[in-house]
Amino acid sequence: MTTTAEAKAPTQRADWVRDLLSRSGLLVALIVLFILEALFAPNFLSVRNMGSVLRAVAVNGMIACAMTFVIISGDIDVSVGSAVAWCSSLLGVLAIKMHMPLLLAVVVVVVQQIILHMGAGSIRVKWNVPAFVVTLTLYMSLKGLAKVITQAYPITPFPDSFSFWGQGYLGKVIPVPAVIMVITIAVFYFLSTRTVFGRSVYSVGGNEEAARLSGIPVGRTRITIFGITGMMAALGAVIISSRIMAGAYNVGEGLEFEVIAAVVIGGTSLAGGSGSMIGTFLGVLFIGLLANGMTLLGVNPYWQEVARGLIVLFAVLISVWQNPIRK
Amino acid sequence: MPPILSLQAITKRYPGVVALDQVDFAVDAGEVRALLGKNGAGKSTLVKILSGAVHPDSGEIRVDGQPVHIDKPSDAFERRICTVYQELSLVPGLTVAENILLGRWPRQRILGLSVIDRGASRKIARSALDQLEIKINLDETVSRLSVAQQQLVEIAKAISFDPRVLVLDEPTSALATGEVHVLHKVVRRLAEQGHAIIYVTHRLQEIPHVADTVTVLRDGKHIGTITAAEATPARIANMMIGADWQRTAWGESGQPGEVKLEVRNLSRKGLLHNVSFQLHGGEVLGIAGLLGSGRTELLRAIFGLDKIDSGEIYVKGERVVHPTPITMKAHGIGLTPEDRKRQGLILVFAVQDNLTLASLDRFSVRGILQSARGTALAREMAKALDIKTPGLGVPTRTLSGGNQQKVVVGNWLNTLPEILLMDEPTRGIDIQAKEQIFHLVRDLARRGIGVLFISSEIEEVLDVADRILIMNQGYVTGEVKPEDMDVEGLMTLVMEEMDHDHDGRS
Repeated sequence: MTTTAEAKAPTQRADWVRDLLSRSGLLVALIVLFILEALFAPNFLSVRNMGSVLRAVAVNGMIACAMTFVIISGDIDVSVGSAVAWCSSLLGVLAIKMHMPLLLAVVVVVVQQIILHMGAGSIRVKWNVPAFVVTLTLYMSLKGLAKVITQAYPITPFPDSFSFWGQGYLGKVIPVPAVIMVITIAVFYFLSTRTVFGRSVYSVGGNEEAARLSGIPVGRTRITIFGITGMMAALGAVIISSRIMAGAYNVGEGLEFEVIAAVVIGGTSLAGGSGSMIGTFLGVLFIGLLANGMTLLGVNPYWQEVARGLIVLFAVLISVWQNPIRK
Repeated sequence: MPPILSLQAITKRYPGVVALDQVDFAVDAGEVRALLGKNGAGKSTLVKILSGAVHPDSGEIRVDGQPVHIDKPSDAFERRICTVYQELSLVPGLTVAENILLGRWPRQRILGLSVIDRGASRKIARSALDQLEIKINLDETVSRLSVAQQQLVEIAKAISFDPRVLVLDEPTSALATGEVHVLHKVVRRLAEQGHAIIYVTHRLQEIPHVADTVTVLRDGKHIGTITAAEATPARIANMMIGADWQRTAWGESGQPGEVKLEVRNLSRKGLLHNVSFQLHGGEVLGIAGLLGSGRTELLRAIFGLDKIDSGEIYVKGERVVHPTPITMKAHGIGLTPEDRKRQGLILVFAVQDNLTLASLDRFSVRGILQSARGTALAREMAKALDIKTPGLGVPTRTLSGGNQQKVVVGNWLNTLPEILLMDEPTRGIDIQAKEQIFHLVRDLARRGIGVLFISSEIEEVLDVADRILIMNQGYVTGEVKPEDMDVEGLMTLVMEEMDHDHDGRS
């Protein structure tokens, strides 16, 4: 034991490096996976394929950032897949059926989803209903609403220029969704490590009572997290709609659990209080690379699902083995 | 005839501390023995030895004069020694009968399947409840019962094992006065039926109502066993604390300044009744009261954690209408809660993050943290409070209790408070850390901070406070100057008031 006075001051610039290293297990797994696929999967290393991997994971990655906050705060949100379907449908109805200017339609879609999610968050906080229950409610009803307003038909066509957000490239190589994902991760990384809000999220999840007694606005923090999640789901829906150039009631199916899986693989604890955006990013990449590799190798897509399920268990087991101290 | 149960020269050591030191103890059939002592006196170790949870290092346990070994809980059951712990261990979703027979439900075969024989279960459970002469519906779900009823079910469960020795570990700690009476009656009845009962308690005022004899432990030693009639508060205080205790000379205490906090007629139904007091800057106001006296409730109400029904709170002359932790923090008030692990700390967080939990505003600009300043604040505080840790980045759960407590206090000192409400800051920490906390409290007062200080240990309040409020069942029943008091006097005051009140309301 030494006195604290000599404790090394954690330097700011080394934060993300340390973060990355502390998830070294996942990082190593990611590198090994990358090398294996480079060796065995045809065309894996092509620019085109790399681009498609990134585009494939972009929406999941964006929503996973918000989900990381949700899970760190000790909650869970199973509604995001349905929220994407609802937002895509609403965008189609507003912009195509009702001829609303596209930009305005996007703003309306995003804002209404923030409000819906904050409403759910308020119920979570006010009556202490488990987040699982309120988001399950959202999941089921938004799924239904999406079918109601589209009558279960995809709504087309969006103006051609809209395809940029889901299908476009920057510099002819880098997919636009990938850029948006990277920006999102950077913003969320900053939020989680450098802001009072981020610190509050960890505190609320680490020990809600202690956070409340320390004068941290527990309810407001939770509701804000819900709002952010709604926003990211809506933005994800915009990108997906642009990719398929339709407002569709059936997009985003199963997305909630893919996103949760990525967050968990990234080392965020479902018990709340710990986790990181870097870990989530690695988790998202890992799932994306795995899926891509299996596809290139011609693995039956149904078996791919089985494999992904097992990977989640394996990742959690590794983190349990690495940190055997639990309360 | 030898006593049912006797312990001879029982010794139990833990690293760095002798929990029980050559303790002799014997109890007869039909006797209710109260077991008293401060926190850490050795009561719980004794209970754990009797229940088979802990082994003595040396000494002998005899049942009916025959030496026995109690190596595991099932050995204790075999000797018909049953323990009812303070924390209830009932399954909330099961019925009373199912809980009484938990894990040993009588079975019967229906269509070749082994299923619970509900008729037989109810019969056994019924006979246990009848023995206690209490009326509880056997088919009621336990979660629908009051805490007192649950406590009785827990005792009925122990009785269903047909014990000769029944150990009750602080059975009244969660009960209201009326419920305590019911429990006392049940205990007396069991004694009349020939059970030997060991009754661990904090509440000295229970003794005349329930006990025949009283054993006091102090620092792991058996100090004495006396009859309940001899057990006056002064005598018990003397046995629990020892005659050699002296008030620390703190040097000059600062002149009390302006009134920082004023509470007028604060009431919360059933818990606080018209509590009024003033706290000045630069003084330590102690609250002497037993568990359940309303001391914690008072602090929680002031800090806005619980709703108040009536009364007014003024901070520096300004009325705070709807106190919340956020507004109270803004007014310069801090609260260090009694349960540091559950309420005070985020155990998974690094030490430095816990040290700055309440003071994020101090090192952030428009919501963006200036981490370097936060680290500096944490480092200075760790140094000032002499927090022993391998580094500021280690998880707080790895620290010792005393150092964790310092982190809780440091967290609030970093908010630069003018008023600090300290609820049991010395609970469960070692002597050296206690000393440091006392010095810190005096030092805060010297710096002009008003401190409200609660401790279960009456001599600690007497030692550290400039002025003492006596609390009983939600009332402030007196105010004394510590220099006019000794431990026995104060303990007597706390007890006697209680007894008076007790009789007046029952």
